[in-house]
Amino acid sequence: MATNGWIIFVITLFAPLLVAGDTCLSPSVKSKYYITTEAAASVDTVFIVEFQLTCKNGLKNLNLYADINGKFLPVTITDDSKSQYQVSYSDENKNLPAGNYDVRFYDEEGYSILRKAQRSGETNDSIKPLFTIALNHPGVWKGPVVQSEFIAAVVAILVWYVAYSAKSQLQSDK
Amino acid sequence: MIENQTKTSFFTGISCVGRFTAKEMKFHITLFILAVTFFHGYSAEEEDAGRLLASKNVLNQYLVEGRDLTVEYRIYNIGGSAALDVKLEDDTFPEADFDVSSGSLVAKWDRIAPNTNVTHAVILRPLKYGYFNFTAATVSYLPSDKTAERQVGYTSAPGEGGIVNSREFERRFSPHVLDWLVFAVMTLPSLGIPFLLWYSSKSKYDISKPKKN
Repeated sequence: MATNGWIIFVITLFAPLLVAGDTCLSPSVKSKYYITTEAAASVDTVFIVEFQLTCKNGLKNLNLYADINGKFLPVTITDDSKSQYQVSYSDENKNLPAGNYDVRFYDEEGYSILRKAQRSGETNDSIKPLFTIALNHPGVWKGPVVQSEFIAAVVAILVWYVAYSAKSQLQSDK
Repeated sequence: MIENQTKTSFFTGISCVGRFTAKEMKFHITLFILAVTFFHGYSAEEEDAGRLLASKNVLNQYLVEGRDLTVEYRIYNIGGSAALDVKLEDDTFPEADFDVSSGSLVAKWDRIAPNTNVTHAVILRPLKYGYFNFTAATVSYLPSDKTAERQVGYTSAPGEGGIVNSREFERRFSPHVLDWLVFAVMTLPSLGIPFLLWYSSKSKYDISKPKKN
């Protein structure tokens, strides 16, 4: 009787783990990202998010999906031995203005639930992502608004104007 | 898809400013078609197999030594079913000439669904200047789950590009703030000395003025 109880206890302890065999438990993420900041470096704005994912239950090389700006992208595995992933996203500069972007990551299960919810027209706020990486886009620098030559010319004209008006004032005083 | 190709631009050298010239575009389209036939030749036997097209583009306006170089790969699945175990590998950037600053030159996808595309980007830093021939990366995949034989294909090649010397680039495009400051300091004596002479005589004259009144 006592052993039976013990077995049931063990089963109830591990059953959730078996059910949730494909989901990453308490994911910890180490991430870095790159965003185009100079128009000279790229005609489009490019987001690159790289991260290393470790799951408590030791899952590796998961099929993840990223949601950037409402667009779903499959996450690329770049190094399967280190469980390293990358997401790349690019769009025209005007479609990706400066600001904060949240990249939400879903596993296969979460993604399919999300797609089902989207198809039936429900809001997908209730579906929690596996984890989120926040990006801060400082904007794309397209070069100086005013050329330095122009500023130098303006300063030169200003100096000449001050000198000329001082001279004509002196002459009119006579 | 071809429209997408023309959208991105690749400039060869500093003298060539602007988007694709018609000739360059034609060249790209030919390459693209070439890539199509490459994949087509392999997977002609099965209609519902996954079939991938891949493009590689350099998105830079200027290629400058020591500055970010953006390479973007796009893979399209035009086949009837998903392509499995897709691996993109680019070993055309020698370590002596390029530093990888962001992203990875090896990328894997478990599956690419039919009629979808995936994007992959890498940021490199050229360590040397001069002309560099950007050639094709390799894509390999399983066209369906029935076949065990991997298909190997190539992306389009962006072609030759001129990487500008960073000093040359600075000279042409930096705001030259320091140079202008030096110029201002140099013009100061010729403006300042007459001004001081005039100012000293004026202040003498101005003191005597109230006495008159």
